[in-house]
Amino acid sequence: MLPEAPVLRPSLPILFALGAAGAGTLALDSASRAQAQSRNPLTAERETGPAPSWRNASWLNADHPLTLEELRGRVVLLNFWVFTCYNCTNTVPSLVDFDRKYRDQGLTLIGIHTPEFPPYAGEHDKGNVERALRQYGIEYPNAQDNDSRTWNLYGIRFWPSFVLIDRRGNIRYQGAGEFHLNDGNYRLWERRIQELLAE
Amino acid sequence: MRRTLVAALAAGALALGCRSDLPPSDALRLDTAPAGGDTRLTLIAPPGFKLNARVKPALELSEGTVLRFDSPYLTPDSAYFTRPPTALLAGSARRVRGTLRASICQPDELVCRSVTQEI
Repeated sequence: MLPEAPVLRPSLPILFALGAAGAGTLALDSASRAQAQSRNPLTAERETGPAPSWRNASWLNADHPLTLEELRGRVVLLNFWVFTCYNCTNTVPSLVDFDRKYRDQGLTLIGIHTPEFPPYAGEHDKGNVERALRQYGIEYPNAQDNDSRTWNLYGIRFWPSFVLIDRRGNIRYQGAGEFHLNDGNYRLWERRIQELLAE
Repeated sequence: MRRTLVAALAAGALALGCRSDLPPSDALRLDTAPAGGDTRLTLIAPPGFKLNARVKPALELSEGTVLRFDSPYLTPDSAYFTRPPTALLAGSARRVRGTLRASICQPDELVCRSVTQEI
């Protein structure tokens, strides 16, 4: 039995902003970036609260199904993705870099692989996901979310999306959208990771 | 008052719109044309969106058949269609019923979203 999803449904203003949001923060200068980030739903700090517990049964790069409870004391970055999403795979090098730099300092990166299409498209197939992990050099754990349960639990709407959870199991940051090594949003997420690791 | 109602309806549509987040006017479009004795279906993306070619759009027909749309015209990275993908439906069909499914991306948002649309 899954717990109820807490405080994560986007508010109506956020839904409106999603419809109106355009170019995002990628090309903003630093002076306007902070202000824009508070408005842009793809990078904005969202509502916070206890992270809901996922219960995915099928995992790759993990010797047992990971739970949120056992990760208490670590910072957790969830990446909702699917291997057919170009924006998602473009972001993988940055995530691999985060994993390499911060795993030993207390970061656990977890891919939540959520298909877009029904099974006929091949996104549900564990072998295909495994091949994608090898192709992109992903060594961090990945959960198959074939029924979109964790996606729905966290109120996710876009590929790729990110949820950053602190050592106490609280959601601190959420966002969506492709980023690249050392670009503005990479640095934004890195600062957030560093902030939570320092707590 | 009326504006509020319209806004509430729009918000409701956005909230309940599966994962499409698109108002109806920006929905996928399906064109049909005769092709010999068959029917060529052409899928048109909403304005401003690209169709993801890594997971080919699908038409799930009411009787259970799934047609996949494809096109040889792709971006250099093979990620998106540069011309509308097509599918061939056996026989002559004036009207097609089923569920259209596509992954679409808006370039400046750098995210993908899924559209599911009954036709």
